[in-house]
Amino acid sequence: MNQEEEVDEPGSCPSQQDSNPCPICLGPLVQESYLDTCFHKFCYNCILHWSRVVASKRSRPSASVKCPLCKTENFSIISGFDGTCFQRHYINQDLGDRFTFSKQHKYRLQCYYNEPGILNDIFNVLRFWKTRKYLQSNMWLQSWLRRELQALMQEEDVDIVVHHIHGVIDSFLRRIEQSRLLKKPTEATQDDFRIAVSDAAKPFLLARTDRFVNELELFLASGLNIEAYDAVYMQRLGWNAPGGSISSKPAEESSQHLGIVPYLYIFDVDSDKDE
Amino acid sequence: MKASRARLFKEYKEVQREKAADPDIQLVCDDSNIFKWTALIKGPSETPYEGGVFQLAFAVPEQYPLQPPQVRFLTKIFHPNVHFKTGEICLDILKNAWSPAWTLQSVCRAIIALMAHPEPDSPLNCDSGNLLRSGDIRGYQSMARMYTRLAAMPKKG
Repeated sequence: MNQEEEVDEPGSCPSQQDSNPCPICLGPLVQESYLDTCFHKFCYNCILHWSRVVASKRSRPSASVKCPLCKTENFSIISGFDGTCFQRHYINQDLGDRFTFSKQHKYRLQCYYNEPGILNDIFNVLRFWKTRKYLQSNMWLQSWLRRELQALMQEEDVDIVVHHIHGVIDSFLRRIEQSRLLKKPTEATQDDFRIAVSDAAKPFLLARTDRFVNELELFLASGLNIEAYDAVYMQRLGWNAPGGSISSKPAEESSQHLGIVPYLYIFDVDSDKDE
Repeated sequence: MKASRARLFKEYKEVQREKAADPDIQLVCDDSNIFKWTALIKGPSETPYEGGVFQLAFAVPEQYPLQPPQVRFLTKIFHPNVHFKTGEICLDILKNAWSPAWTLQSVCRAIIALMAHPEPDSPLNCDSGNLLRSGDIRGYQSMARMYTRLAAMPKKG
């Protein structure tokens, strides 16, 4: 091990600049923030992330977070103090709209661990293309995409990705309407579709992309709304609707707290490979 | 994650700068992977580990410092809270009580403290734990000293 490779020149003064670093990132404080009881200082994003990690590990929502330095319970993060005013972020403030991995998301994710093709006899994907069922726009597609991407990416805010993929699908389907005169074989059109969607989704879904495209085609071919589609899917998997609430209370999707929320960074792993 | 890399780099620089600050700990980053570290720690004095040098292996997760590093002993050690075969360490701050304010260096210090103050009530090494729990301090100490001699000291001659 070469310990000498990175010797600081004694003249440089990182210690001055970092004389009071953020205890979490050890870098200079960015958006200096304080915990409201012990007044320890952190970067706003660092302490916010930490409070979320803590919350995600608890089985029950909590309105406080222990200071990483002194373990004092604190109830809010104070930031932007300029001598007269400041902002205050309460620890439990975003519990209401914090992304909780709902039963529906779990069911969708579990589908990806099942062999593909179990619905092929019910929803005929090839006929969807042959009979040009895509001419009828699917008004549930966007919601379906959102839930699917949330489940796969384990991320609440997938708006941009939904928008992106939905746009790609939309423009593709519109284009084939126009180029139908070219008399391309159906299979070629289908392949083109799969490639276009794969390209759009791959940066976000990585290894799950192909299966995602499968599932997407299946959903489009079903022509069903999400509730009906779920019901068929789960019946085929031999599952009862989890808690019996899937088809009856879809509105609760985002408000169901399921206790421990997995805190996964599946996709961050690759985000910095090319640094 | 970018953040973990940046933070580890900060720790790396700090370790270089403060190399002499704590003679009991020598932390070394893997040449090619900043997520892999090893440490050499000196067995604390007035314990059966005195005189031994113990090697630790750190595997740092991408979510660090929001999640704790995984640490285990590479050097064999007879201690109630260290698994005799795998070197796994039972220490609260490496699990539930983790705080992002800990650094690799301070984790090493915590492990040295654990060596000096075993917790026989949460044993990973039951033989060692049972000796202590049954009050056989001498038995525990001689076993621990023997393994320190065998595994953590340079061979004489």
